[in-house]
Amino acid sequence: MPANQQTALLYGGAAAVRLLLFTAFPSLPNLLAGRVEVSTPVTSFKRLQEGLFLYTHNVSPYDGGVYHQAPLLLPLFSLLPNPSSHPFATNVVFTLVDLLSAYVLSQIAESGQSTVTRLFKSSRKDLRWSSLAVAAGFLFNPFTITTCIARSTSALTNLFILAAIAKACQGASLTFLLSLSFASYLTMHPLLLFPPLLILLYDALAQRSKSAPSPLAFTAFHILGLAVVIGALLSASAALTGSWDFLAATYGVRLLLPDLTPNVGLWWYFFTEMFDAFREFFLGVFWLHVASYMPGLTIRLRKQPLFVAATLTGIFAIFTPYPSIADAALYLSLVPLFRHLFPLMRYTFLALATILYATFLGPAFYHLWIYAGSGNANFFYAITLVWSLGLSIIVGDSLYAALRDELDVERPELRGKEVKRI
Amino acid sequence: MLSFLPVLLLNAFLACVCASSDYHERLLLRPLPQSTLLASFNFRSNESSTAIEQQNFRYFPRSFAQILEHAHTKELHLRFSVGRWDAESWGQRPWYGAREGGTGVELWAWIEAQNEEEAFSRWLTLVNSLSGLFCASLNFIDATKTVRPVMSFDPEGDHTNSSNLHLLHGNLPHEVVCTENLTPFLKLLPCKGKAGISSLLDGHKLFDASFQTMAVDVRPVCDSNDGGCSLQMEQSVDMVLDIARSKRPRDNPIPRALPIGEIECDTSKPYDAEDTCYPLDKKVEPAWKLTELFGRPLKGACPLTEEMGDEGESLCINTPPEREIQVNTTGQYSEARTALDTLRCYKLPVGADFDLVLPEQKMTTGLVRAQPQLFAARSVNGHGQERGSVQAVIRNPSKDAVEFVYLESLPWFMKPYLHTLRAHVDSLTENPVKETYYRPAVDRQRGTHLELRMIIPAASTLILTYDFEKAILRYTEYPPDANRGFDAPPAVIRILSPYLSTDKKGIYLRTTPLLLPLPTPDFSMPYNVIILTSTVMALGFGNIFNLLVRRFVGMDEVSALGAGGIKGILAAKLGRLKALLGKA
Repeated sequence: MPANQQTALLYGGAAAVRLLLFTAFPSLPNLLAGRVEVSTPVTSFKRLQEGLFLYTHNVSPYDGGVYHQAPLLLPLFSLLPNPSSHPFATNVVFTLVDLLSAYVLSQIAESGQSTVTRLFKSSRKDLRWSSLAVAAGFLFNPFTITTCIARSTSALTNLFILAAIAKACQGASLTFLLSLSFASYLTMHPLLLFPPLLILLYDALAQRSKSAPSPLAFTAFHILGLAVVIGALLSASAALTGSWDFLAATYGVRLLLPDLTPNVGLWWYFFTEMFDAFREFFLGVFWLHVASYMPGLTIRLRKQPLFVAATLTGIFAIFTPYPSIADAALYLSLVPLFRHLFPLMRYTFLALATILYATFLGPAFYHLWIYAGSGNANFFYAITLVWSLGLSIIVGDSLYAALRDELDVERPELRGKEVKRI
Repeated sequence: MLSFLPVLLLNAFLACVCASSDYHERLLLRPLPQSTLLASFNFRSNESSTAIEQQNFRYFPRSFAQILEHAHTKELHLRFSVGRWDAESWGQRPWYGAREGGTGVELWAWIEAQNEEEAFSRWLTLVNSLSGLFCASLNFIDATKTVRPVMSFDPEGDHTNSSNLHLLHGNLPHEVVCTENLTPFLKLLPCKGKAGISSLLDGHKLFDASFQTMAVDVRPVCDSNDGGCSLQMEQSVDMVLDIARSKRPRDNPIPRALPIGEIECDTSKPYDAEDTCYPLDKKVEPAWKLTELFGRPLKGACPLTEEMGDEGESLCINTPPEREIQVNTTGQYSEARTALDTLRCYKLPVGADFDLVLPEQKMTTGLVRAQPQLFAARSVNGHGQERGSVQAVIRNPSKDAVEFVYLESLPWFMKPYLHTLRAHVDSLTENPVKETYYRPAVDRQRGTHLELRMIIPAASTLILTYDFEKAILRYTEYPPDANRGFDAPPAVIRILSPYLSTDKKGIYLRTTPLLLPLPTPDFSMPYNVIILTSTVMALGFGNIFNLLVRRFVGMDEVSALGAGGIKGILAAKLGRLKALLGKA
């Protein structure tokens, strides 16, 4: 079958699955939008609808405790017909967002930056999946489909993160800055992806032009560019809503966690049970903890910036305040880019089993707690611990594999031998 | 079947306003269906504003006036309520609902202030002072339980002299109203419950009633002729007593079945036999007397009341003219009949006990109950502790379209979705909501305030629904009985038109409060959670940083390199030091 046909079949199939689910089960989107695993207070479609309603009725959506999403989503979604009566347009938009994400993901795969970078060439570089397979892994991942059906706005964030990575791989400065700014503007923590992606961009440009630009000027230019674009987005938001209140209602909520609605992350129950006097201290510690991975990974894996970016999305899926399965879907769709590391991973079965265990038992235990009343909050909490543990096993294991892969290039004589860390 | 009762006139008659330094009290008794009795106590005192400025208090309680002055409160309404007014069987509410509160405590006041912040700080002063005065948890009315209604309340008093008035409204639906609130309430009266109709008020009976509401209303009243103003305080207690329940003696309160020989059986029932008996409904008005119902005697008139005219008649009973009433007293009293003889009023003797005795009587006529303009019921739909929806069913039985304002003030942890709000009238396709005022809640800072102006056409039912989500709270924010759930205040409905009342008080009805079961964390394990979460984070962090900061060596090189870690570093340092010393 020619490649074109395969591509058309893949995207057509993925779109068909989504639209079929939307139309065959009209109550499914609302059901999923209400699931705490899929929709968090900062990404929920129902809250977006409420924000839209207030926005179109000239009440500031940020003067309330329900809407915590970025202001520019409001005019964007107010262009669409009311999703409660005419959901089709919204469904198509979310389907398109998923297809676009898959497309940029296949661009990342095609760039080959996962195995061969400017400073590093993996000894297993021939072991890789085609870009089509990687895109299929994203499009038919049940977590991605669920996110799309629930119409969670994290689908948009995922698209912008993937686009930023793809543009960095291709060495397209301007579009990289734009996409990363949009991603950071929507959810704030993608800003941490800037340093590794900047290195990726630098490597891609240097590889292509053969004469590397001055690193200092390059960094300064891009920091300035990022600041300008984010500043422009924030000013546009302020002009749109008429005040700067949205900062506290969007980024403030992510930073300070006033809404303790359960999710798959580690924060909500910790801060539900936290003593009031220590709340601020632990908020600081937790945020510092999330941010601490970026410098360490970027420095140690300086030669493989794409791997750093992918690992960071995994860190976000575990340690940010409002993670959902959408964040895990993003990470799990980036992992197949590193097919060459799979033979080096040690705990694949354990990690997959843990993830599956959490996926199936999570909704059941949540039901026991909230609806049946036969379990308590600890049931769901325990599952979120298992879920986070499973993801962190994948992150840690793939990191081990990446380092081992680097070692094989540095010291080919150790290949296949047992090694020890000192 | 005649005996028409002009209830509308009756309330107007009772609420005649006289602006001078004086004091009035009146108790109106009205038998209701199903052997219940409505007792409406009303105490009204006036004090001229000049007297108050001179700190000269005759009838108006000094403590109360000083609180109002300190908090710059111009008009105040305080309610303590228990139970539900059963409008289906009892009809129109006393005072058209204007002297009634939602379950628990409800307070609203007009406060003079330059801006909203000042008004709010004065409001806090007010609720804290009142909390001490009435032994109620009014101090728990904070920003999250305060709203500023826009359409639901209008001042009753004359506020031509005041500017910058701010209306604030607070609710405590969880508050248990009890005897400790009655005692300070009675202390505010000039006769302090020792004489006059207030001597009937006994905590045991009052809080055992099917419905009771205590109200304190303060408002300035100005005479349009001479411009003299006075401060009027009205205290009222409305209670619905179950006659059979109230008559139970205090030492033997458990009802027991009569011996079968003493019961009159309904022989028309097919199962009627020697040993089975269905009690015959005799369709008679039960016998009762005041002493029995209220558990204590009425100790004559309060000597401070005005003696003149019908204002001196402080006990009225509203029954069909044929109802037999005997008066049992040793003192001087007089009786007057008005309103087609359906209203009998008594001027009480001073210093002598007074009792009304009504024997059991088979009645040929009944009282016509005034039909309320609206019936309202509100409930929570859905199951689970995560989300739900509120459904309010408002029925208009009358022949006219009714325009009303619906006020909801919800706690912040109940998050309504306004885009799901649907108001539907079965006979109408257009939206009955004419005007909406909405101020969304902010977590831990303020509650939701929703006001809707709606119109229900004649003889139709309006169904209002909206979805909401329940927040999970920090574990210190749950009350001790967290699994009981949280109370959401009753909705207040104010009828704008047709306006049947004859004064400025307004026509109100309130729904019952809602009970929200919230998801609860496990309260016993904060330490466990902190430890377990930290363990998972440490596993992730430790694993990753362990990989990042160490380097790989072959297994066979480990021994050559010597021990790693601190031991290795120390050994290396020691070696260098030795080398250095050896050189020197």
